[in-house]
Amino acid sequence: MTIVGTTRFSSDGVMSSDAIEAMNCAFPAWNEKVKDRRLFGRELDLPGTASIVRVRDGEPLVVDGPFAETKEFMAGFSLLDCADLDDAIEVASSSPVAWHHRIEIRPFTQGVRLTDRAAAFGRGDGNPYLLISWMREPRVDLASACDRWRDDLTARGLYVLGGALGGADTATTISTRDGATKLQDGPFTETPEFIAAIDIVDGVDRRQAIKLAATHPFAGTDAIEVRPFYTE
Amino acid sequence: MNAQHALDAAFRESWGRIVAALIRRTGNWDLAEECAQEAFVEAVRKWPADGVPQRPIAWLTTVAGNRAIDRLRREARGAQLLEQIGHEADEESMFDEVEEIEDDRLRLIFTCCHPALPMDGRVALTLRSLIGLTTAEIARAFLVPEATVAKRLTRTKSKIAAAGIAYRVPPAHLLPERTAGVLAVLYLMFNEGYSASSGEELIRVGLCDDAIRLARSLRQLMPDEPEVAGALALMLLQHSRRRARLDDNGELVTLEDQERARWDRAEIDEALEMLESALRRGAAGPYQLQAAIAACHARAATAAQIDWPQIAGLYALLEAQMPSPVVRLNRAVAVAMAGDLDAGLAMVDELGTDPRMARYYLLDAARADMLRRRGDPRGAADAYRRALPLAPSEAERRFLRRRITEL
Repeated sequence: MTIVGTTRFSSDGVMSSDAIEAMNCAFPAWNEKVKDRRLFGRELDLPGTASIVRVRDGEPLVVDGPFAETKEFMAGFSLLDCADLDDAIEVASSSPVAWHHRIEIRPFTQGVRLTDRAAAFGRGDGNPYLLISWMREPRVDLASACDRWRDDLTARGLYVLGGALGGADTATTISTRDGATKLQDGPFTETPEFIAAIDIVDGVDRRQAIKLAATHPFAGTDAIEVRPFYTE
Repeated sequence: MNAQHALDAAFRESWGRIVAALIRRTGNWDLAEECAQEAFVEAVRKWPADGVPQRPIAWLTTVAGNRAIDRLRREARGAQLLEQIGHEADEESMFDEVEEIEDDRLRLIFTCCHPALPMDGRVALTLRSLIGLTTAEIARAFLVPEATVAKRLTRTKSKIAAAGIAYRVPPAHLLPERTAGVLAVLYLMFNEGYSASSGEELIRVGLCDDAIRLARSLRQLMPDEPEVAGALALMLLQHSRRRARLDDNGELVTLEDQERARWDRAEIDEALEMLESALRRGAAGPYQLQAAIAACHARAATAAQIDWPQIAGLYALLEAQMPSPVVRLNRAVAVAMAGDLDAGLAMVDELGTDPRMARYYLLDAARADMLRRRGDPRGAADAYRRALPLAPSEAERRFLRRRITEL
């Protein structure tokens, strides 16, 4: 069984209030329909709340802003448990989000780590942060270091879920317009960097989340974007 | 039978089947291709000396299956897999009865043409795994470096594995859409070959035969899909004109001016019959409509007898199903040819404001032709001159220049 992480992006175009309401009205029915396959999903805070963390020569460098300065941005995250890609496409393409925005599907090729905190995350509790690893070249050499980093955070009770994603080549981007599903091979953003892993942490404040990101093995070679999830 | 001849026939007949069955059994595309390849290499070595086996395809299938088992035994994971499929000892059962193998070919074609794969990868993988073209042959056919094709193939196969694209015929609710996707790949393959002419481009021309062969198998496997018949009929009708498309000097000849005696009558008859029975199902999709338009040309004994009102009507139906400025332009041409030059010109003028058509030379070429027919040689010449710098090939530019001098 393939576990597929769906990342939800939205354009910054202004949606009419009618369109937003129609989307919101359709959500409960969609949730019910896909609940066996969509383990959970949450909305992210706006890209303006992001920080980028790098560690060079042992020194952490933190700057504000999202990593990719694109017109469209990552707006949310869903975790799907699907039999295959067609199954994931069906879940994503029937989402009301797909009517106006685009959804990128990526497999967790090495499996996904879920801790005891995942259930609370799924309920919308806590103040979780998403750590996005952006890089240009895949770094398989750091895979076991990443595992140890996740082990450590899990032991400290701070890790929620995450893992390595399949490369940009494994991505499929989906939208639904006029009832027809449009599929596109490849990731949503056409940047030279791609998202190689995502990790979600909780039980920390913003400053601590940034510190955790600085301990991520990829922070030493590439960049980690830290984004809070949206909370009421 | 001569060994080389038997080998060629067996290759065409069974490459795709062997690869398809091995992929289902092992889930390993590279292994499937390599074992099929080895079986044919073995045949090249043995058949000329030992004679062609009584059942050549069964022979090849068994050899390929044995190679697969040998390889899997050598790897720890492979041994596990063999245990799972429970065929440790019995080599022949790597393949089961014929129907299953036929289904395998369908699984293979739907997987190769999955819409989440890059289009160039779909085409390359279909040619590699179903037809058995080598990387070098695909590269020559698409005029790209061999390394590019190798990369496309690797990338496409790795997406299938990593993204979890299932090796199967899609479920009923996805079937119409996915079948259209497969036909789009085959038609692209066909057009790539059709746009090539002859001589040194023979490999490219071969793509037409490959696409037609695949469409034939698809039709055999899905006899109840009218669009499959429609796409095959469309390709056959276009293919039937291949010998009349160029004159003795290698110049392009318009459909109207083609020497109809050079059209392949057998292909036309086959296509017309196929199309008619598909259309009788009453839900003509885009391929059937395009084939029906091509059929209007094929049925006419001379250019003067072409049923243009019928063609204009078919384009209107086609435009309703797939609205595009190119379809509309074709419709405008048919309307003008059917006698209503003013209406045709009005449609062309309206299309002139569509930014998608700004660099499309056929728009001005069509306008020029309509102006010429209306007795406005000056306007026609101007329009041909506007089309000239936009024409993509030298043959097309030569054609336009010829038209200007003919005015």
